[in-house]
Amino acid sequence: MAATSHAHKEFGPAQYLAVWVGLLVLTALTVAVWKMHFSLGTRVTLALTIATFKAGLVALFFMHLWEHGGVTRLVMATSLLFLVLLIGLVLADNATRFQYANPPYSEPWLQVPYQQMAPPMQDQPPPLEAAPPQRRP
Amino acid sequence: MPTEAAATPQLAHHFPSLEAQEHAARMGMWLFLATEILLFTVLFTAYAVYRFLFPTGFEDASKFAHVALGATNTVVLITSSLTVALAIYYARQGESRKTVALLAVTIAFGAAFLVLKGFEYHDHFVEGQLPGRYYHFEGLSGPGVSMYFTLYFLMTGLHGLHVVVGMGVLTWVAVRAARGDFSRSYSTPVELGGLYWHLVDLIWIFLFPLFYLL
Repeated sequence: MAATSHAHKEFGPAQYLAVWVGLLVLTALTVAVWKMHFSLGTRVTLALTIATFKAGLVALFFMHLWEHGGVTRLVMATSLLFLVLLIGLVLADNATRFQYANPPYSEPWLQVPYQQMAPPMQDQPPPLEAAPPQRRP
Repeated sequence: MPTEAAATPQLAHHFPSLEAQEHAARMGMWLFLATEILLFTVLFTAYAVYRFLFPTGFEDASKFAHVALGATNTVVLITSSLTVALAIYYARQGESRKTVALLAVTIAFGAAFLVLKGFEYHDHFVEGQLPGRYYHFEGLSGPGVSMYFTLYFLMTGLHGLHVVVGMGVLTWVAVRAARGDFSRSYSTPVELGGLYWHLVDLIWIFLFPLFYLL
């Protein structure tokens, strides 16, 4: 009973081989993109996009989400939602912090990239732009 | 359904049918996989934060990753995922001998992955590219560089541990398959063990570009 009810939509060796070839092509593609020396932003975007496609192939076909669906998809989607929430909110926190609340020499707040600084490292982090003194009412 | 229960001794008495039992087992496995995804999510978050804070340090440090070994390992894991998927397929067809052979090949791929990873770790140890205060590599210093290697060893190490556990699970499944525990109507352990192995592959698919290519 159980074997016959989902036998008609089950994938066979041919489909699995096709998925495998797809994964190999995407792996070659991600290495090729790395060799082309794009800017960092482009490389991160491309590498993560390709990795997401590969993960999608594995999850949908090798892990049978395409065939089974239902509640297992809901479990997967929920864990992905929390993945996005955690990484997104934590990064948003660090990106919007007051400079000195982040580790010293962390770069998004430095005026000059670390490596272009004068050889004796500055002991003081670069000064903030002076804010006008706030007067209390 | 007493008739079905008699025909399939694997059916636990609190499930109405083998299909319901299979669904429950699969959902339980996926809930466990969700906790595994969240475990690695925390580490990926740490990576994202430090990569954001020290982009130059991470970019310079990743130039010392062994891309050829990493890419080979990616191919190894992807191929092992294929052999596991085929093992599940043949288990459902009731062809236990093919299942056992394919699981053995998968376990061999897992071992190959660990051996290549061992070569990589060895090189990093010799060079002194070690986590935290043990970092003493002369060729590169600067903020964030040792954090790259801390996260590299932490995340690939935890992933390697999962490879070892996955090999153990698949060995157990292969022994049961060789014993003739599985048939057309019952092959759930093969599927669930395979799901675990695919998750290990899934995590490596993200570790590879993050540590080797960016």
